[in-house]
Amino acid sequence: MNTTASLLPKEKTAAKIIKLDQQTIVFLIFIIIFIAFSIFLPGFLNTGNLVNILRSISVLGMLGLGMAVVVIGRGIDLSMVAILAVPTALTMTLASTGVDLGLALIAGVALAIAFGLLNGLLTAYAEVPALLTTLATGLGLAGIGQSGILQFDVVPWPDQLNPIEWIGGTTLFGIPSSVISFAVVAIAVSVFLKRTKLGLFIYAIGDNPNAARTTGMPVRPVMVLQYLIAALIAVFAGLVMASSSAVMDTRIYNLSLIYNVVLVVVLGGVGLSGGRGGVWNVIVGTLLVGTILNGMTILNFSYDAQNLVKGVILLMAIAIDSVLNPRNEETAQQGDI
Amino acid sequence: MLTTLKKYRYQYWPDTAVGELLKKPWMDTAVPVVALMLTVAFFSWQLSGFFSISTVSDNLQQASELGFIVLGMTLVLIVGGIDLSVGSTYAICNVLVLYLIHVEQMPVLPAVGITLLCGALLGAINGILIGYLGLRAFLTTLVTLIVFRSLFDMLQFQWAVGIATHTTDSEAWYYLGTGYFLSIPMAAWAFAAIAIATHIYLTRMRGGWHVMAVGGSRRSAYNAGLPVKRVVASSYVVSGVLASMSGIFYGARIDSSSADTGSGMAIIVLAAALVGGIRLGGGKGSVTKAVLGTVIVFLITSSLSSMATTAGVSRIVLAVIFLLFTTLDIRWFKNRGKAVQELYVTPGYLDLPKAPSTAAESPYAVNDKLHDIELIGLGRVESPEDVILDDDDNLYCGTRHGNIMRFLAPDYQQMEVYAHVGGQPLGMAFDPDGYLYVCIGGMGLYRVTPERKVEKVTDETNRSLFSIADDSRLRLADDLDIAPDGRIFFSEATVRYEMHEWQIDSLESRGNGRIICYDPHTNQTRTVVKNLVFPNGICLGSEGQSILFAESWACRISRYWFDGPQKGRVEPVISSLPGYPDNINRASDGNYWIALMGMRGPAFDLSMRKPAFRRRMSKRLAQDEWLSPNINVGCVVKCNDQGEILEALWDRSGVNHPMITSMREHRGYLYLGGISNNRIGRYKLEKADPNFMQHPRRRGKPHA
Amino acid sequence: MTNILSSFRKKWRSIATTAVVSTLAMSSVVQAAQLSMNDPERDAYYSSFSGKSVVFVPVFMGLDLTEGWNKMMEMQSKALGYKYQVRNANFNTQAGTRILTSLIHQNPKPDVIVVHNPDVTSYARLEKQAEKEGIFVIQLNMKSTIMTSGFVGGDAVQIGKLQAESVVNHCGPKTSGKVLILTGPTTSPWSVYMEKGYQEVLSKHPNIKVVARQSTGNYDSSKAKSITQVVLQQHPDLCGVMGVWDVTDQGTVAAIKDAGKKGKVFVSTSGGGGTLACKLIEDGSVDNYVSYDVPGQGRDLDDLISASLQAKARGEKPDFHKTALYTPLHELTKESIKKHPCWSVDTMRY
Repeated sequence: MNTTASLLPKEKTAAKIIKLDQQTIVFLIFIIIFIAFSIFLPGFLNTGNLVNILRSISVLGMLGLGMAVVVIGRGIDLSMVAILAVPTALTMTLASTGVDLGLALIAGVALAIAFGLLNGLLTAYAEVPALLTTLATGLGLAGIGQSGILQFDVVPWPDQLNPIEWIGGTTLFGIPSSVISFAVVAIAVSVFLKRTKLGLFIYAIGDNPNAARTTGMPVRPVMVLQYLIAALIAVFAGLVMASSSAVMDTRIYNLSLIYNVVLVVVLGGVGLSGGRGGVWNVIVGTLLVGTILNGMTILNFSYDAQNLVKGVILLMAIAIDSVLNPRNEETAQQGDI
Repeated sequence: MLTTLKKYRYQYWPDTAVGELLKKPWMDTAVPVVALMLTVAFFSWQLSGFFSISTVSDNLQQASELGFIVLGMTLVLIVGGIDLSVGSTYAICNVLVLYLIHVEQMPVLPAVGITLLCGALLGAINGILIGYLGLRAFLTTLVTLIVFRSLFDMLQFQWAVGIATHTTDSEAWYYLGTGYFLSIPMAAWAFAAIAIATHIYLTRMRGGWHVMAVGGSRRSAYNAGLPVKRVVASSYVVSGVLASMSGIFYGARIDSSSADTGSGMAIIVLAAALVGGIRLGGGKGSVTKAVLGTVIVFLITSSLSSMATTAGVSRIVLAVIFLLFTTLDIRWFKNRGKAVQELYVTPGYLDLPKAPSTAAESPYAVNDKLHDIELIGLGRVESPEDVILDDDDNLYCGTRHGNIMRFLAPDYQQMEVYAHVGGQPLGMAFDPDGYLYVCIGGMGLYRVTPERKVEKVTDETNRSLFSIADDSRLRLADDLDIAPDGRIFFSEATVRYEMHEWQIDSLESRGNGRIICYDPHTNQTRTVVKNLVFPNGICLGSEGQSILFAESWACRISRYWFDGPQKGRVEPVISSLPGYPDNINRASDGNYWIALMGMRGPAFDLSMRKPAFRRRMSKRLAQDEWLSPNINVGCVVKCNDQGEILEALWDRSGVNHPMITSMREHRGYLYLGGISNNRIGRYKLEKADPNFMQHPRRRGKPHA
Repeated sequence: MTNILSSFRKKWRSIATTAVVSTLAMSSVVQAAQLSMNDPERDAYYSSFSGKSVVFVPVFMGLDLTEGWNKMMEMQSKALGYKYQVRNANFNTQAGTRILTSLIHQNPKPDVIVVHNPDVTSYARLEKQAEKEGIFVIQLNMKSTIMTSGFVGGDAVQIGKLQAESVVNHCGPKTSGKVLILTGPTTSPWSVYMEKGYQEVLSKHPNIKVVARQSTGNYDSSKAKSITQVVLQQHPDLCGVMGVWDVTDQGTVAAIKDAGKKGKVFVSTSGGGGTLACKLIEDGSVDNYVSYDVPGQGRDLDDLISASLQAKARGEKPDFHKTALYTPLHELTKESIKKHPCWSVDTMRY
């Protein structure tokens, strides 16, 4: 009964004011930390440093946006890091061996699309849990990357790709182009999710797939689409990353980057049970993580200590949310992990 | 000729096997078992020495190390959570135990103790956050994964060189890692012990059932008053302890710490659990599945590297196999229920003799004798399948609410709950000491003492030697009578269906039922006659050495000699009735009353000879559109020991007693019960012995 | 001298791919020219390789070091006719121990294992066990705490000294003297032995301040990049970086380039001297590079394998000869790479 009541527009706004949801809590924590750092940390609040923060989170943020699209549709895509690394490295390898720039790009993007489709088809049509599908396809793609299509696991940025270096490796009015790329992706995803029919379908499907099917939405094709979008964003992020560091280390697949991606998405308030959240949530989550890391850098914390403190702060953020919005045993969704 | 072939084909071909096999609980684990067999077959073909003792024991050791963590993950998954932090916990405990042993030179026992404690502590952090504070498991363990990992990185950075430069000469430590007992490594022994203990805990103990309940339906568990929070929290603690155990064994085997210990482990562990068939979302999983998943994943990963496949190809193969096996398992899980539904019903061939006529000149001639009779408890009882009276003329009947009701003599106006037995009471009989024996559908044979205490007499019999389904439990004990020596003979109508599914059994009309004997002297229950077609009423023969029993769908009455010169023989009494017989009871003149709960029809009789037709029907139509025996009109008939029909009583109006499942003669009256009725009838018998009662009470010394 | 030897080997390969054919060919030459005589060592030499097997257990494949060594070992195995296999641990120590364990237990056991240690202890126990089982263990480039039949690799202590000296020379008293040290896995030979080299030099130069000494995990370039970014923000006046390996330090130089400090921070690194080294040196990302010459190491490795197989054929036990071959080191600079171009897998020859 509560849920039907809260869907009425008036009560919804009223509830919003009173209720501190996770996004608001994370945003408040971000503001508090930001203000605290601005006051107590010399060198934090200046343009150079703020740009630094943005640059450091742009790739993570982009991956987060792709992940958010999938998570809103009640899925998860753990293959994003593999899709970020291998197709990008393929493009770079092909370009360095003299293949035409356009063809090299098409090859990389096609590989990414193939895996996006595979993820989508397996989860939507074969009904394999997304967690396992994407775990396996990610592993498979990383395997493909190691079985001969790349000369080495670490591929340097070839000069032949310099015509597209502007997507992440240059600066525009003092702003690194990777930040601009992040902004462009954020706007695109936001428009897609909130202003297009398909975007709204994703929300509906994430909220209740059975209801969405009953109302006649093409549930399975839309699910395929969301993995496709995630794959495309991942390969774009890969190109941005490679152009900004001048190298693509495909061994990044072995690292815990994917956990950080899931983290910024869920931390910002995109619920894993689907249908909730949006671009703003990802940005909030990413900003919080980026700011904490930057502040600790200035505080001269070591890399490991930064991870530790970051983790503890995130844990506190989740715990506060949980205390303020406790789980109701009566209405908790079965199988919602 | 063809008919004979058809008859034998339906009698001996094991049609029921497929459905019963599919219904077995362990079929749930079929896909991982087949996957394991394929894996072993393939790699033992590819790799020489796959089964050599050293390889097997080496595999056992390493698989056990993985198994500990998979087991922990399994518990967490069953409870409905997920623990991504296992790899980090494992790593911390690994470096901790090495530090304690090498640098602190601690003896093995306290070092292991402290490490296990550390694992429990790390698990408790997850447990408190997720169980008590209600955080989301995925997100929380994701963050603790990062936190524990960075803790490990810092500890490893501090301690690694110390661990590398100090050595230990502890024999126990060495034995833990590389020791064997009966050429099986210690880790495997420890794992086996823990796996078996966990299995017993999950399937046989209260705590384990709580775990399954919380995972199966958290909300119901909460409403049922289970300590949901504590169960959830403790699953993470156990997961932490098991991860630390694995870290200890790995540490003891390799005796060195490395920086990448446990990284990416959650994924392998999760993959093992999922390949084993454990499902995300809780409630589904078992130790067997965890072990199967572990062995499959371990064998694949280690065998691929033994075959010197390149890392890339190994990853691709692994990914394909994961997807293949889990997709198969998910399909299996989804479709097994459907397959059981389609394949379980397997109609048999039943060639019924022609039905006797009920025309005016026949002994079954329809009349209206039961129309104007006294009604007892109208609207106050539901489903009185059987009725019985005691020495003091009080009337007893069962109701579908699980009660035995008593109407007090002489006017039967006052009704009380005589005993609450908890299931639908069917046939009833008094023993000479006044104990009321009751067959309870779905429960077995029970009795109510004169003090109104309900006691279980028996609920199982000996299991048939070659049955696929376990037929030792009583599913539908139907009617009983008591032999002079105290042995109780009772019928079990079907071993393949529950009471409310009697209609499906009628569609099968194969020998699914049996007669069982309970011997109070030895307290043993034994099946005496098998393969009966819905055996229903049971009545002691007038000579005291045989029982008469009715087979409802076969429309016949037979006699089974349990004593005397013909002991063990079954012979026909009435080979063809015009309807479906239910209970049989004694009449005061030495004859028998038989209740017919419904009358045969030619269409249904014909379909009994067309099993393939009925099978098609059961597959293609919804159950409520299946053919069903008519149970709208029935009657009571009286027959003698030779099976000649002497009398028939009908209610032509179809108002009071259209359907009769039992009748009991008592002191000049016939009392009528019906499982779909809301009343008991009382019919005044002409020329009946006014003092007759079927189960007179013994005078003299009471029952032992 | 080397040229003569290598041309000799090259000739061998071109004459015949199998020993049988080549023996026939040679014997006909002997018969034709009466003045020649049979080399008594030859037959024993060639027969000692038949039916033997060598397994290479690298920490990783797909990067120039291991691909280079692999190429050299593969070429020799083909030329001499023994079995050669690669079992890749793929940056997973646990997988590596699993591979070694199964090699020790499998039947037939390999004759020689060439092992690339991820750290100084993880494989030590297993290496000892393998030698006890009669398998010759040759450690490659990264040495564990125990010595086995053979070791081929750069002298990590010496590399550390050379890198530290170049940084010390650059970061004189006029600079901040702030130095960042990047290491591999904490207990990897590169981390612990190189550190010794660093300390020997740095202890004599108190003006050098080590602002951070951090592990890049599994030689992970993105971790190197993150660490360098952090340190550059904390210490914009950073003077030098002592990197652990050229592959890893691609991340280091990317961070420096990102921060606009290219050319202002002195980067010293080491590696196998492959084409990546030349690229980094040429574009000025790396200022000092210590090469341990993978083609040369490959030759040493092949020789030790050959020696081990011959020893095995003579019935000797694995610990009979313990031979360490520390690779001669070269410091590459912009000038020197003009004369000695960097190698790639395609330019390698046997």
